[in-house]
Amino acid sequence: MKKIALALAALFALTVPGSAALQVDVNQGNIQPLPIAIPDFIGDPQGANIAKVVRADLERSGLFKPLDPKSYVEQIKSINAAPTFANWRVINAQGLVTGQAQAQSDGRLRVDFRLWDIYGESQMLGLQYFTQPENWRRIAHLISDAIYERITGEKGYFDTRIVFISEGGPAKNRKKKLAVMDEDGANPIFLTRGDYLVLTPRFNPTAQMIAYMSYINGKPRVYLFDLESGRQEMLGNFPNMTFSPRFSPDGNKVAMTLENGGNSDIYVMDLRTRSYTRLTTDPSIDTSPSFSPDGKQICFESDRGGSQQIYVMNADGSNQHRISFGSGKNGTPVWSPRGDMIAFTKQGGGAFHIGVMRPDGSGERVISNGWEDEGPTWAPNGRVLMYSRTLQGGRGSQIWSVDVTGRNERRVITPGDASDPAWSPLIQ
Amino acid sequence: MVGAVALHVAILAATMFAWTHTLDIADEAPPVVPVDLVTIGEKTNIRAMVKQQPKEPPKQEEVQPPSPEKAEVTPVTPQREEAAPPPDQMAAEKVPQKPPPPPQVQPQEKPQPEKKKESFDIDKMMAFLDKRAPAQSAAPNAAKGPKTIKGIGQQNAMTMDLIDTLRNQIAQCWSPPVGAPHPEQLIVQYELFLNRDGTVAQTPQLLSSTSSDPFMRAAADAARRAIYTCQPYRLPPDRYDQWQDITLNFDPRQMVGQ
Repeated sequence: MKKIALALAALFALTVPGSAALQVDVNQGNIQPLPIAIPDFIGDPQGANIAKVVRADLERSGLFKPLDPKSYVEQIKSINAAPTFANWRVINAQGLVTGQAQAQSDGRLRVDFRLWDIYGESQMLGLQYFTQPENWRRIAHLISDAIYERITGEKGYFDTRIVFISEGGPAKNRKKKLAVMDEDGANPIFLTRGDYLVLTPRFNPTAQMIAYMSYINGKPRVYLFDLESGRQEMLGNFPNMTFSPRFSPDGNKVAMTLENGGNSDIYVMDLRTRSYTRLTTDPSIDTSPSFSPDGKQICFESDRGGSQQIYVMNADGSNQHRISFGSGKNGTPVWSPRGDMIAFTKQGGGAFHIGVMRPDGSGERVISNGWEDEGPTWAPNGRVLMYSRTLQGGRGSQIWSVDVTGRNERRVITPGDASDPAWSPLIQ
Repeated sequence: MVGAVALHVAILAATMFAWTHTLDIADEAPPVVPVDLVTIGEKTNIRAMVKQQPKEPPKQEEVQPPSPEKAEVTPVTPQREEAAPPPDQMAAEKVPQKPPPPPQVQPQEKPQPEKKKESFDIDKMMAFLDKRAPAQSAAPNAAKGPKTIKGIGQQNAMTMDLIDTLRNQIAQCWSPPVGAPHPEQLIVQYELFLNRDGTVAQTPQLLSSTSSDPFMRAAADAARRAIYTCQPYRLPPDRYDQWQDITLNFDPRQMVGQ
């Protein structure tokens, strides 16, 4: 009886006798993007372009709904005066971004913006940037990041880049090129010409270097590509195939797989000394290592238990233990930069999906809906993932993104077919 | 042959009887079940959900929050300095802000907590002293969130429908922070004063702890936006005294993973 009384008490929100406050527990919500108004920035004509990029960034995140500029009732004339909040409530905006771009006498561009809370009738954020005019897109991404962070509490991810494999040409002679582009698909650049096969590119923590596997001279090896100098070098001089590289969080090491007589094991190479350490010795295939954000652990895939599954070990190779016990095969694990999740490719029922689980293997969820989705990569804030999607019937490959909650699954625009994306850290 | 026909006729007749019979029953007036309308509070008397001693501290906390909340609003601008990433050739700095004129409700903010304190002191204490025994053992399990569950009394039966109505309305407007790393920790409590027409009477007061944690701040903002966007609340005007003062407890735990 007590239990029933307790359940009743917990179920219904409680009333405080004496004090008049009515207690209401709100435990269900309606997850919706935040309606936000972002009028073109005033001043320099570039201001309109900046606002356009900010609107696109925030819309793409799925957490914001930029309102149609045609619906705005008020025209922003100065960013130093508070807007008439009622004018923005009329169009149901909950946030307002006002901004201004000004060319400076020294040739630089100055951009100011303010984020307003329409119902709280207060400024939530105000920032100012100076830059060379050609960097206006980065300023726009930085503004998007600042707004995203203020509203969600989470660091943004718009001022980032994606490295991926661009695919083109006839089906029988497909060329795969290493390419990078901004997170929003702008400024795509090809880093290789497609003369040889390239696979699994990965950024280092400064986003200046890419580790990848290439078949230069017919030998599959891990290479490093320096984005600034365009220089590439083979990582180590191993007699056999090396693949599946990934940087440690401090950027000083690369974990990768070394094949030797049919047995693949995980090694770690120190980039400063070029010395390497073997971490796994199992006669099965151990591959796809990925560091935890604190660098103390590595998750990887292994078929030592009979089928491909996900394992975790300490960074020195000790304490290897399996964490995936769900149905099907699970591979290509990637530790979230936030540390709370491991994303992976789940294979079962003839399809491939992207899944996430906690580092102890609990809380497994499938978050993508494609027929063949694989190779996840995390946004630096650990909130969004990208992955490759192969279309049914050989109709090509695309890059898609999805929120860690499984919402907002959408295609990432790339020049032509693309696969194997890797997200950079926030650009420094 | 005759037998078969007779049998058919008999079956037919029996069927008709059965129908007639059923109709007879249907024609009967349904039995009247006497129902007494009893106020739950009178019978159950579930009262104290928390021990008598801890009552004082939580109450003090509730009285305090208005100032932390205000403190949280103002520092928004200064705080930006650290959040602004000053990349290579870009200098980020805070734009000097002209804070909008404080809402006219500001002066009302102080009297509210005081009023609450007054009414609490005597009436409530008496009520708790009266009937704490039966439910006291349940208290430790009952309160899971940071919120203090104070009790359930006679008012509960009368206000349950109001609570449901409010909860349903706000659920439409609240976008919970489900993507945050630990959404279960982002429980936010506001005290809300409403006008008789269901509009928000004054700036909602944040009762839960204010912290510099950006996730907590974002959760508090999201809850406040929900409060504003949902107005006017559709509640019976004749019972205004029951819903003019509301404590809302935004708890995203059940939304995690959805």
